[in-house]
This record gives sequence, structure tokens and C-alpha cells, in this order.
Amino acid sequence: MQSFRGARPQAIDAVDVATKVASLILPARATRVVDQARRDLRVVRGVIGGERPAPVREQAMRAANLDEIDVVSILPRRLAARVSQGLRDLDVLVGALQGRRPPPTVKRPASRRNTLPPPPAKVATRPLRVARVVRETPDAVSIYLEETSGALLTFEAGQFLSFDGQVKGRTYRRAYSLASAALEGHAPHVTVKRVDGGVVSNHLVDHAREGDVLHALGPSGVFTLKPSEGPRRLLLLAGGSGITPIISLAETTLTHEPDAHVVLLFGNRRFEDVIFHARLDAMKGRFGERLVVDHVLEAPPREWSGAVGRLDTATVSARLGALGVEPKDREVYVCGPTPMMDAAHEALLALGVPKARIHEERFTSPEQRKAASAPTEPQPVLVALGGVRTETVQRPGQTLLEAGLAAGLPMPFSCAMGGCAACKVRLVEGDVVADEPNCLTDDERAEGYVLACCTRATTPCTVEVP
Amino acid sequence: MITDKLLQILPEKVRTRIEPYAEALELMSEVRDPKVAASLGPSSVRGLLLQRGKQGVPTKIPARHEAYFDWTYPSDHAEMLELYRRAKQNQWDGDTWLDWSTHVDPENPEVAIIPDNFLNFEKLEGYMGVRMTPRERAKVRSDVCAWQLSQFLHGEQGALFAAAQVTEAVQFFDGKLYGATQVVDEARHVEVFHRYLDTKLQKLYQINDNLFVIIDALMSDSRWDMKFLGMQIMVEGLALGAFGTLYRLTEEPLLKELLKNVIRDEARHVHYGVLALREHFQNHISERERREREDWSFEVALLMRNRFLAYEIYEERFEGLITRAQWRDVVSTSPGLEEFRHVMFSRLVPNLREIGLLSDRIKPHYDRVGLSKYFGGRSADQISAEDMISELDQKRAETPAGLRAANA
Repeated sequence: MQSFRGARPQAIDAVDVATKVASLILPARATRVVDQARRDLRVVRGVIGGERPAPVREQAMRAANLDEIDVVSILPRRLAARVSQGLRDLDVLVGALQGRRPPPTVKRPASRRNTLPPPPAKVATRPLRVARVVRETPDAVSIYLEETSGALLTFEAGQFLSFDGQVKGRTYRRAYSLASAALEGHAPHVTVKRVDGGVVSNHLVDHAREGDVLHALGPSGVFTLKPSEGPRRLLLLAGGSGITPIISLAETTLTHEPDAHVVLLFGNRRFEDVIFHARLDAMKGRFGERLVVDHVLEAPPREWSGAVGRLDTATVSARLGALGVEPKDREVYVCGPTPMMDAAHEALLALGVPKARIHEERFTSPEQRKAASAPTEPQPVLVALGGVRTETVQRPGQTLLEAGLAAGLPMPFSCAMGGCAACKVRLVEGDVVADEPNCLTDDERAEGYVLACCTRATTPCTVEVP
Repeated sequence: MITDKLLQILPEKVRTRIEPYAEALELMSEVRDPKVAASLGPSSVRGLLLQRGKQGVPTKIPARHEAYFDWTYPSDHAEMLELYRRAKQNQWDGDTWLDWSTHVDPENPEVAIIPDNFLNFEKLEGYMGVRMTPRERAKVRSDVCAWQLSQFLHGEQGALFAAAQVTEAVQFFDGKLYGATQVVDEARHVEVFHRYLDTKLQKLYQINDNLFVIIDALMSDSRWDMKFLGMQIMVEGLALGAFGTLYRLTEEPLLKELLKNVIRDEARHVHYGVLALREHFQNHISERERREREDWSFEVALLMRNRFLAYEIYEERFEGLITRAQWRDVVSTSPGLEEFRHVMFSRLVPNLREIGLLSDRIKPHYDRVGLSKYFGGRSADQISAEDMISELDQKRAETPAGLRAANA
């Protein structure tokens, strides 16, 4: 409120402007006389026009002071712009003759744009909406997802999403493979199975409802189809809920590539545990001889005529032999519980499959990992990225990735839980501890790579973003 | 020059007031082609006489070009499409790619922001009749750098708007897509140059009158190819010359990295100018129109060669100590400016040849002003940004220690 500045100036009229112009020409004494006459005229005109003094001081009006009168302001807008430009030009010319020049430098306050700190950077999830929930078995549900932005949720067959799940006030990050085919018209979904002690999985199986919002990172991961010369021949080994990325790989390949051939070995404990039984049957109908599905059950029902056993080294070799499949000729994808994956790995190597042709997807929850003892001291970290070396400090509790992001560096990452290697950096100098296991290959380890998302510096470090 | 002699007769007080106008008149009288004079004339009045860029209020320059729409979205220029793809992949973030935590002391002789003999100090001291202390010299060098970067910044603002106008007006659809990336590039250049001046040198000089003339002429010309020629070939050529020189000579790591990234972008911009104009000048304009453009670019090249004389620094520091003519002599004979001319013309002249504006008719004129040695150089479509940088790096290694020495 301008209460103590008193009355506000009235709108400017022709008399004001005439007075202002006169004031520019007349000597000071004459100007005072003319200005007083103008004010008097205002008052007289107001009285004749029936104006009364305002009852409240703040509402009172007065004649504008001479320095408040802008001659140009009563002109039409376009003309006003021209006149004021003309006046400025005139001022420059007159100024030059008087030996006056514009100052050589520009004085202005420091720009806010240049001093604003960068927005706080961290590993940020985005919301995905649950479109519907479908019960696949008594212990497993498929959760159909869509982007809240309305964009299409796109991914490659075999990739996964990581979710930040809130359970009883704590945040847990977990990865779930997309089980739908990566094809237009196939609604994207993950399939989640109840597991002993699985905090997030069990929560989702029991509580996921249409309309819920999940906080996700990704899709991430390189458990995807590799470029192939000639017709693609796949051997897929799945155990339990490990079927999720495997069925996506199978359906996507067979639909896309009419001459592809797929063999799937699928191990479960009981018949009622088999996820996607009906979907696999339908696929067999659709793709005929191009798809072979071999179910192996540990505890089969009485009328079961299929294979019996647990997917260990012997069973894997035996089943491949019985099916007449030569694994050496195939690209192999394996996903399931750790003992099953280790057994399959051993059997495949024994059958002569080159290591480079065996693709594996292992999920562990961060809390199950060998707990790397977290450093308790801040450590300086030098990050080389795009030709620039930036020094930042990794605070206790932060990973290399979090330290880099907090310094505003655009370090790449995707799943942020050691599952996709998008964040891998080369350790040039210093010591680190990493959460194990993670998805780095032996070759990558040998070349000095570490995963920034689950590695912490224990001494001053230098890392290089490839 | 006659005007110089006339001015000598006048008392000093009058002379200093009239000198700038005498120079403006002289400049206009140097332009021989009446069409070029007509196109540059009004801009010269606004820039040199009325100093519209320095009036302390935002400048409004009306534009009269046509926006060119094509509702069929043709894929009409493979090379421009390739430039678009490259431009998308090579975007960089001024916030994070540059290390803004670098401490910059422009007066520190250990990390020279520009070398001591960038300016001809011997001559300057000779005219003044006093020797400057190392500290005074360092201050002047810092100002010269701030002045240059200020002009870069003002030029980039012009480039930002011109790139947007050209994107509207160009008839290649692939060119429009590419042009949008150039608009982003120019915005980033404005961002980083301004940030450097604002937070590191803490000084911003007004726009140079001659630079204002060129920008004003481009913005108000309704012919899109003149905008294009002026901005993509001439001003970007000037920019490459100036950036290249400073990149070579500065020891300051942040500025060096900043310029390196900017040069990479600029190389694309000039390449685009060559692609678009080559085709246009060969197939879509008359010989008379081509000649007009040929003359125009020659005049503007001279303008750029002779007219960036840092009078703003003279007025701030040396007015009253030496005359304008003496200052002009100091700047014109400075090794830094020679270097700048060399880099600028070695980029500019081959590009003019490539777009068909270097016919046998105009060659003698270039020869007369000593530019024929650049006729055979490589044009922007034949040289990559990385070539450009490594060429500068190589030259830098060859530069005599004298020009790079931190202090004489």
C-alpha cells in the first residue's frame, strides 16, 4: 500500500502535455507559474464537473507532477514508438556534438541465469499407471502398464523395468522383466510371482490394483536379441518366473521372423505353478513346428506324461538329447533361479556351446547381495566425461552414480540396480567396493569397468565415462 | 587520407567529436557499387550515425521476409539431412560440458587469457610516450579479451535470430529441420559466452557500430538468400576466424574448451550455408543478381577486415592520450589481428568460391587487397570440424613462442 505517498496522479491530458512542453522551453520561474496554473485549472474543472474530495486518503487523486508527465504517452502507440525513437536518435546526435558518447560498457546486475544452481540431479523414476491386473496362477499376477504421459511404453524383447516399491515406509528397488511380446498391439505387462520373503513381489501380488501408479526406471538390459545372419535358431531355458523375458523373446522372434525356430525348456515344481501355460499352448498352435516347448516338472500330477525332474546339469543334457536339439548351433538364453542357471551353464559348456553364445539374466535384490561395506568418509571423485574432468565428492551413502548426478553431470544410467550395465565407467585410479553379483561380464571387469550405480569409492578415485 | 589531414587542422576538442562521423562517411564512400551502397546505407546510418545499438534501450529491427511452408514434407536434400543427423548427435550442454568452477583471473600472467603481444604494445607506448607496467598491460589485455568476447556474444544474438528467420524462409525441408538445430546451437553460444563474461570477466562491452551495421542489414533485408549469405557465410566466417584465433592463443583452459565446442558447431553452420547457397546461386538467380551478391560479399569482407578496431576500448582508456588514428594504427598492426584476418579469410574465401561468388570478374579486386593466396583453400563442405580443430592445434604448436609467451 502506498498510503503515505498520499494521493495518486490523475490520468495525463493535453493540458499536462502542453505544460510539460512549455517547461522544456521556458525558464524555471515561468515554468513554476505555468505549472501552478495547470494544477489550479484541474481543481476548478473538477469542482465544476461535480468531483468531491475522496473520503479515504488512499483514493485521493492529484495532478501529475511535471516529472511524471511522459509527453509520448498520449500519442497512439505506433506513433509513440516512432517519436521516442526519434528523440533518442536526436539525443545521440546532439550528444555527439557536445562531446558526449554512449558508455563503452553495459552496466547491468549479475544475471540470475548464470548463478542459479543446476536442478538437483538424482536417479529419478517416472510414474507408470496400472491399466489392469490379471491373475495367471494362484501365486502370480500380470500387471499391465501404461505411461502416464500418454506416450507408448516401448521396449526390446528381454528387457526389464525397475520399480521403486514402497512397503511399510521403506523403498525397495526391484527389477521385473516385461513378459509381453515387443510388438505393436501387445499390451506391455510384467508378471510377478510370490516368493518366500519377497517384500515387493508379495506386495504386488496381493495389492496391485487397476489405477495404481508404480515408479519405474527403464526399460533396461541387454538380454535382448542379437543381430543374426540367416534364420534365427534359439534355445531358451527358463525356470519358474524366469519365463517372463523368455516368452517375450520367443513370441517376438517367431512373429517377426517367419523362418525362425525356437526350442524352449521350461522347468517348474508343480503343474499349477506353470505361468503362461495357456499362452504357450496357443503359441504352439500358431507357430506349429517352429516352436518346441518342453515342460519339465519336479512334482508332476499323476496323469503327467511329460518330462520329470529338476533342471540340473544332467536333466538339461538329457532333455536336449531326447528332443534331438544340437545346442551348439543355437543362440542360448537362460533365466531362472540361480542353481538352475548355474547347472544350465555347466551343461551347455559341456555340450560345446561357446560362452559368448550363452546369454543370462540374473536378478538379485540389492539386499541379498554380498553387502559391500559402505565407506563412511566422503571421497573426492574425478569424473571424465566428454573431454571434461569434473571433481565431485561422494558423500557417505552415495554411489559413484549418485555423486556424479548430484554434481550435475549427465552420467548415463538405466536400471540403477546393477542389472543393465548402462552406467558402466572405467576405473582409472583409486579403490572401490561394488555390490555383487552384478551384470558385468568377465571381459568388462578385466578392462577395469565398474557399475557406477552399485559401486562406491573407498579412496579418492578417477573414473571415465565411455 | 584527406579526411585525416583535414582533421589534423581542427582543434583537438572539435576533432574528437567529429572523428567518428568522418570515419562513417569515409566508410560509405569506400563502397563503390550503388546497389551495395543502397543495401548497406540505411543500416550504416542507423549503426554509425545514430548508434542504435548503444541507445540504452532494446533495439527493434523490423523483418520483412516470407515464411515458406511446404505441406508435403519432401525429403529434398540428402546432405542437409546428414547435417541434421550430425547436429542432433553432437548437441552439448553448456551447464555440464564446461567446468564453470574453473577460477579465471584475466590479469594473471601465468595463465595468459591472451598473449602479451596480441596487441602492439610497443607502438602504443611509443604514441603515449610512457611505458606501461606489467599490471597495466595485463588490464588492457583483459579488456581486449572482454571486448572480443562481448562482440562474439552480440554476434551470436544476431545469429540466433537470423538462424530462426532463415529456418522460416529456406525452401529445402531438410534445411528447415537442420536450421532448427542451428537455432539451438546459437542459443547455447549466447548462453556460454554471456556466462563467461558475466561470471568470469565481469564486463560487457557495447555492440561495435560496424557489427551493428551488418546485423541490421541482414535482419532488415527481405531477400532470404542475402540473410543467408550474410549470416551463414560472412558472419559465421568472421566468427570462425575470431574464435579460431582466440582458441589458438589463449592459455585459459575454460575459455579454450568453450571455444573448441563452439567451433565444432560453427563448422556445421558454414557447411550448411555453402550447401544451400551453391544450389541457389547456380540455378535460381540471374547473372545480374549473382554479380550484386558477389560485390556485396566483397564489400562486407572488407568491412569486416578493416573495421573491428576496438574503439570502445580506446574511448574507455586511451582517449585524450593518443588520437583515434594512432589507436587505429596500433590495432591494425597488432599480431593478434593479423592472425585473425588470416584465419578468417582462409575460411571465408574458399567458401565464396564454392558458392560461385568468386568469378574472374571479382578476383582482381581480391588480389588487389592481398587475398588471392586463399583462392585454392578447402571450403566448409570439404573440411570437418575435427580437421578444423586439429589444424588450429597444429598451428598453435608451430606458433613462435613469442606470440604465445605470457609476458614480454
